[in-house]
Amino acid sequence: MKPGSANRVVVRGALLALALAITIGAFGALDATPKIDRGEIFVPPAEQLRFASFGFDAVLSDYYWLMALQLVGDASKPVEGGSVAKLIDVVTALDPWVGHPYRFAAVWLTDSLENVHAANRLLARGVAYSPLDWRNRHYLGFNHFFYMGENAKAAGILEGALHLPGAPRYLAPLVAKLRTEREGLETARGFLASLVETSADPRTRAEYLKALDEIDTERRARLLDQARSIYKKRHGRDIERVEDLSTGQRPVLRKLPPAHPHFSSFAWEIDPETGDIVSGFYGARYRPYEHIRDKERRQRWLGDAAHVSRES
Amino acid sequence: MDAADAIVRVENVVKDFRPSFGLRSRRVLHGISFDVQDGEIFGFVGPNGAGKTTTLKVLMGLIRASQGHATILGCDVRETAFRQHVGFLPENPYFYDYLTGREILSFYAKLSGVASRAREGRVSELLDWVGLSAAADARLRTYSKGMLQRVGIAQALVHEPKVVFLDEPMSGLDPIGRKEIRDLILRLRDEGKTVFMCTHILPDVEMLCDRVAIIVEGRVRHAGATDAFLGEGEPEADLVLAAVPADLPAQLEELYAASLRGHGDRLELRVREKFVQDVLQATLGAGGHVVSVTPHRTSLESIFLHAVEESSRC
Amino acid sequence: MLSAIRVAAIASNTVREAVRSRVLYVLLFFAVTLMLFGIVLSSLSYVESERILQDVAMAAMRVFGVAIAIFVGVNLIHKEVDRRTVYTILSKPLTRAEFLFGKFAGLVLTIWLQLAIMVACFMGVSALTGAEVGAGHAAAFVLLGGELALIVAVATLFSSFSTPLLSSFFTAGVWLAGHLTRDLRDVGLRSNSEWVGEAGVWLHRMLPDLQSFNLTIEAVHGLPVTAADVWLPLVYGAAYTTLLLLAATLIFDRRDFR
Repeated sequence: MKPGSANRVVVRGALLALALAITIGAFGALDATPKIDRGEIFVPPAEQLRFASFGFDAVLSDYYWLMALQLVGDASKPVEGGSVAKLIDVVTALDPWVGHPYRFAAVWLTDSLENVHAANRLLARGVAYSPLDWRNRHYLGFNHFFYMGENAKAAGILEGALHLPGAPRYLAPLVAKLRTEREGLETARGFLASLVETSADPRTRAEYLKALDEIDTERRARLLDQARSIYKKRHGRDIERVEDLSTGQRPVLRKLPPAHPHFSSFAWEIDPETGDIVSGFYGARYRPYEHIRDKERRQRWLGDAAHVSRES
Repeated sequence: MDAADAIVRVENVVKDFRPSFGLRSRRVLHGISFDVQDGEIFGFVGPNGAGKTTTLKVLMGLIRASQGHATILGCDVRETAFRQHVGFLPENPYFYDYLTGREILSFYAKLSGVASRAREGRVSELLDWVGLSAAADARLRTYSKGMLQRVGIAQALVHEPKVVFLDEPMSGLDPIGRKEIRDLILRLRDEGKTVFMCTHILPDVEMLCDRVAIIVEGRVRHAGATDAFLGEGEPEADLVLAAVPADLPAQLEELYAASLRGHGDRLELRVREKFVQDVLQATLGAGGHVVSVTPHRTSLESIFLHAVEESSRC
Repeated sequence: MLSAIRVAAIASNTVREAVRSRVLYVLLFFAVTLMLFGIVLSSLSYVESERILQDVAMAAMRVFGVAIAIFVGVNLIHKEVDRRTVYTILSKPLTRAEFLFGKFAGLVLTIWLQLAIMVACFMGVSALTGAEVGAGHAAAFVLLGGELALIVAVATLFSSFSTPLLSSFFTAGVWLAGHLTRDLRDVGLRSNSEWVGEAGVWLHRMLPDLQSFNLTIEAVHGLPVTAADVWLPLVYGAAYTTLLLLAATLIFDRRDFR
């Protein structure tokens, strides 16, 4: 090796090390955080995206779906419903035949009436594009019943899912229950009775027959309600026990009807919470179950919405 | 031979090029006319940019003439079918360099309509003929320039054409390569083919061509048999004298219109043949020596230079 | 009339050139890599990951198919002229139309070959992840082949008179616009100006309607695909491609090779 070349190697090595050090140092000093905080994540309107997808609708749809998953999966922040709604709107506008994203929206868009409305719009799109999928109808009906208290509308939507492949057996009894409020017990009974006749599956039939038992029981409970009001008029006071209706002086009924069509060991009771006469078998009257806090929330939401619409 | 049987016939061909949209067009060929006869080697000579290649491209249908008419074997050059009988070697030919020598010749044979039965034999024969048998299965990208030139000649001949057009066949080759190509061209003539050759290398033309056309700035300046060209003018001779007295050169120049060059007491001069005797006597009488006397043939070069000069004057 | 032998000679040589060049392998490599990347991407979703995988894979096929079609298509003629290989070829008894159709056919064959490799890769990746492949996929692949052939024809037309760079811009523009025209028409029809609406309708008529070649979503969701969904675009594409090639021939026929 010539004496000069050793020097050259040293100089080059030093230069290389220096450049490397500066690169690493400068990179570390770079502020990688974005200067502008958009707050909400940026999602272009679905229409614009569709317009500029150039035939890549499907893969763009997937991209925004993965973004929605990241958003919901980020434990460091509370889920922001508006962004989920926008993302799923884009996902389903680009590829309306997707399945799960519609239900994903339904699950995550429950924090305000506005978002439930958004979820319902998305679910309606899902129903339109996949009319044979019972699940979107199920979620849509549930939203109408549970968050909006529109039982008749919910019943109409759920009825569309009854005969779709894979639909669960409990749907028909649920529909019957939801219809009772507006259309009366006899319509619900007729609805279920016709289903019993047409269903071939014995287990489904059994499910429907059980629902019919409950309707029969409700019919008797309503009879007892009538008897109870006669009793009040006659005696000037309410019953203490259900048996009061058929015992003591001047009983309203000669005999109490059975508290269940098949199980005679159950008796009628007065629900301490609501004061209703209930069958000991069911423990509640025939109506869609609702937790008191769900009810309160719904009333608050609907009240707010009414307030807003009055103002505007 | 009658002009009507001409193998190639070019009549008043004009070509205008428009450099690009909106610019004025430039005339490259100003009404070129010439004929090529059966079985001859025809030299198409001119300086670079004179329009040789443009003329050749018109003949090959690569460029459409703006005016005028050109035929090969009696067919309009804009047609394609007659090219069955035409071979063409462009200047600095390029080929698909991902093919081997054998593949490319087979490809051209297919395009030229050589029957598939005959193709393989013909290709091998040609490879042998141009001396590429050894490299036949190597890709063209490994070929030297001389080898590519030989591939070019082979592809021009693959379908046994009657006429062969060669554009600068010797350009860029070393002396051995040039000799080889020259021999190939002469062999073509021996096989009865007509050869049309564009070149600016004059010694090649003198050595090979039967007839010549000189093209300068898009116009044909001279056309005729090479021998006739060379025989033109009075014969001259070159003399070399030594130990010449100082006053002799001026005297010779004046008396015999000799053009001369001197180195010390040595003198080189060119005089008309009829004065040779007189010059020798004068020299010997003045005490000088005669070193050599060589008869001088008029070279194509002088005619060529003359033609170029002429065109630059007008 | 075109001679089948000469067109075939040019075409088979074009395929041979592609097979022996490295660039296409690089593009193919990227396409396959992107498909494999689809496996990673789809695992980010807890549901319907097979669908996402197929979406990504089919998008990769479309992107790289079109990239190859444009990249090779615009160079189709230019390279021959630039390297002066066209001189010796056209001096043979071969019409320019034969040359052009041969080059086109060779290139389309090359691209279909690449498409076939990508399809094989798609099947492999699908089998690996248990994603279903059905008749809808076959239809989508066939139509993608049709779209790519049409794009090559567009590239051929532009490259018959323009430089490769400009041609690739033009071709990419036509490809993008071809996927937009349906939407452009609808936007135009919604506009208040009758003129704009009419322009949108004509744009849709004139430019190739490439969205009709896109069955990705149908394939991936197993939606019903009718025979007409396949043969109508194919007939349309074949006719449109022929028109483009004829136009290219007209231009190419008049061209001087200086």
